[in-house]
Amino acid sequence: MRTAPWRAPWKALRTALLACLAVAVLSQDAHAYLHFTTTVRGEARVLKWQRAPVRWFAGDRAAAGVSASDFQAAMARAFATWEAVPGASVAFQFGGVTGAQPFDEDGISVLGFQDHPEMERVLGATGFLIDTLTGEIVESDIFFNSAFLWSTAAQGDATRFDLESVAVHEIGHFIGLGHSAIGETEMRPEGGRRVLGSAAVMFPIALGRGITRDRELQPDDIAGVSDLYPEPGFRAGTGVAGGRVTRNGSGIVGAHVVAFNPATGALIAGFTLNNDGEFQIAGLAPGAYVIRVEPLDDADVDSFFSRPAAIDVGFLVTFHNRLFVAPAGGAGERVTVAVRPK
Amino acid sequence: MKAVRRGGGAAVRGWGVGIVLLVAVPATAQTPVLPVARFEIDAGGGWLGGARLGARDADLRAAAPAPFRLFSVDSRFEAAPTLHVKAGVAFSRRLGVEAGITLSHPELRASVSNDAEAAPPITIAERIDQYSVDASVIVMIGELAIGRRTVPFVAAGLGYLRQLHEGRTVVEEGRVFQAGGGIKHWLMARDQGFISGAGLRVDARLYLVSGGIAFEDRPRPHGAVSGSVFLTF
Repeated sequence: MRTAPWRAPWKALRTALLACLAVAVLSQDAHAYLHFTTTVRGEARVLKWQRAPVRWFAGDRAAAGVSASDFQAAMARAFATWEAVPGASVAFQFGGVTGAQPFDEDGISVLGFQDHPEMERVLGATGFLIDTLTGEIVESDIFFNSAFLWSTAAQGDATRFDLESVAVHEIGHFIGLGHSAIGETEMRPEGGRRVLGSAAVMFPIALGRGITRDRELQPDDIAGVSDLYPEPGFRAGTGVAGGRVTRNGSGIVGAHVVAFNPATGALIAGFTLNNDGEFQIAGLAPGAYVIRVEPLDDADVDSFFSRPAAIDVGFLVTFHNRLFVAPAGGAGERVTVAVRPK
Repeated sequence: MKAVRRGGGAAVRGWGVGIVLLVAVPATAQTPVLPVARFEIDAGGGWLGGARLGARDADLRAAAPAPFRLFSVDSRFEAAPTLHVKAGVAFSRRLGVEAGITLSHPELRASVSNDAEAAPPITIAERIDQYSVDASVIVMIGELAIGRRTVPFVAAGLGYLRQLHEGRTVVEEGRVFQAGGGIKHWLMARDQGFISGAGLRVDARLYLVSGGIAFEDRPRPHGAVSGSVFLTF
């Protein structure tokens, strides 16, 4: 789900997105970023497509300023953006235009406009049908809220949201990625959050009208999709940062751990995902990294986790006291970051 | 891991001109009386100066044209002791070449500051294992000899740099260009025997390092001094 930047994330979408949110559970062993997982007999299963190419269909509805063919072209570009990631093996195929609607349980994956003025803070959302035994995604639908004004202009339109940017974000969900938390926001006096900056297309709040920067994937997005659908050689060529975040010696859940490569400027992040405070960040280019740990306080916690009450946000931003070195093809020395309470 | 970078040609050409000029200095001063040795070995230690590796902000894309800075990192290599061994061949009393390996274990320090959420500044570090293998042209300046046994020289060359991050799991490679000079002082010199001479040597060099662990895409200068014992054959 991607929310408009100028209002608080809308919380009443849960019914429409039941499948999506129900699978965003805490995982014991998920890697970086956030991959959707489901629990089968106590065991976490990562949600992903297991057959390629994934067929998608474009809905036949237009929206103000966006024809059905403009819509289809924007979706094709957004899918191509994910297909072009060199470390990932994910492929899509356009199945055609359909009169079927997103969120119909019809066995086909449909992307289309729907008019939901009551969802006044939701630009778009993604839902899944999954095989609960295997974690295989069998259908995924995306709707774009035509209650907003959209643009497919190459340079964007300052009065409209960029359709392709939001599509790139939603397609990230479509393939099994959850939200990234690499972003900074501030509360607006009238309510909601304003994005000061983000370093991931998968950040849950859009940059704003007329901004087209989210058409381009960032290192965190690239690491996320590559980890989920790795090309041969991806794991051998990249490293993993792993370790714990603790407070008074005990692990904390939901800490956001960011690895920064000073040589490239890349920011790639993950979360502590269990009660031991353990995290893993895969897809790091070999080299030295600064590790920064922060509380999950720049978007609503339920944008990331389905059990927000378990998430600890009561600590101060803390840097690991050594440079972390990511090797190629394995994990570097385990990191333990002790944070102080707020 | 980084590929060996190119682009040092201009620096090499500059030093080449310098060497030619130095060779062309007319021999007007006293020439020391020393044996013409064909081979030389040299071992010693020294000090490699620190160098700034560069600064980079952890930037987030923003709606505004300027990015939003999450925090800043300013990195440098700290000065570190070195060990080296060299072997040389003299073509004449004036001109020779030498090659050697230099080992050091500098600390890579990163100062983290300007955090957007007011985290206190911190300096973090790792130890680097650093090896350079280089070759130099040596020009003895007998005209400037001090007495009969002490001769200054100039040298310039280039080499290969190999750096291993802490844990020795990641290798980074680069190039080293160096130029400088020093003094050789013979403690012993003779015309007979396997060892024809022995002495002490001090060097001062300026290194330009390209590639390797680098947070900015430009060569970085390191100063270095060393002292050693040499034997000639």
